[in-house]
Amino acid sequence: MSDKDLQKTESTAVTEKVRNVKTFVPRVDIYETKDALFLIADMPGVDEKTVDVELEKNILTISGRVENGKIKDYSLVFSEYEVGDYERTFTLSDEIDREKIKATVKQGVLRLQLPKAEKVKPKKITINVA
Amino acid sequence: MIMKIRSLLPDVVRKPTTDIDHPFYSLQREMNNLFDNFFRGFTVAPRGFAAGMADFTPSVDVKENDKEYIIKAELPGVEEKDIDVTVTNDSVIIKGEKKEEKKDKDKNYYYMERSYGSFCRVIPLDAEIESGKAQANFKNGILNVKISKNQKAKEKGTKVPIKTS
Repeated sequence: MSDKDLQKTESTAVTEKVRNVKTFVPRVDIYETKDALFLIADMPGVDEKTVDVELEKNILTISGRVENGKIKDYSLVFSEYEVGDYERTFTLSDEIDREKIKATVKQGVLRLQLPKAEKVKPKKITINVA
Repeated sequence: MIMKIRSLLPDVVRKPTTDIDHPFYSLQREMNNLFDNFFRGFTVAPRGFAAGMADFTPSVDVKENDKEYIIKAELPGVEEKDIDVTVTNDSVIIKGEKKEEKKDKDKNYYYMERSYGSFCRVIPLDAEIESGKAQANFKNGILNVKISKNQKAKEKGTKVPIKTS
């Protein structure tokens, strides 16, 4: 089965977990505009309290905790997804202005705005008539 | 549409425990997945091409007890006004659209793993349900629908006592 077919892909990272839940790799879109890079991650079930964005050196880690949605006394009829935490890491280049990174969460979607540093923004050089 | 419903074939739903591991069913599912993957497996397809193919299909969990069904669907990034939940006598239809924001026109994509588009899932349910008593709420990208089962419908069948002669 290809990863693309699944809404969530389980993380294959070999680190010991403190919480006994599955960890998924959220799907992301990354795009660049003139002034910034945008990272958008689908993390259904997280809100602003349970999502974490960390930047250590040049490693950006996004993670989210989702409380287990097990409901007692109900039997499962049909299951297509599992509930678990999210984690994914990215390596940032020096072109990002680390001080100005903005993060928002809305309807289970994390949105990061990573502004480019002034020095790497494309500049148009005006040509003067000599 | 057929492709999306296929994974929710009623016969699979009715026999969740016994047949799900049966080799024939798993083979059938594998085949279905294979075909679905073939058409959905483009990570970065040209937009026009992807629009029709790499549609967004929400994952659904269905749970039940004696009194009610709980249906959960993962709909990250969908606005509640774009979700439409319809309950019929024996099924629930979740329709909606995940819209792609078009704020910045000048986008250069590096990763495009998320998918957008309209979706429609028909979830067939085993027991008759009371369509008037359905509740739905949407929080953090997860839709939660609670539907009571019709208690009267369950009592329709009359139990026949067996006598030993």
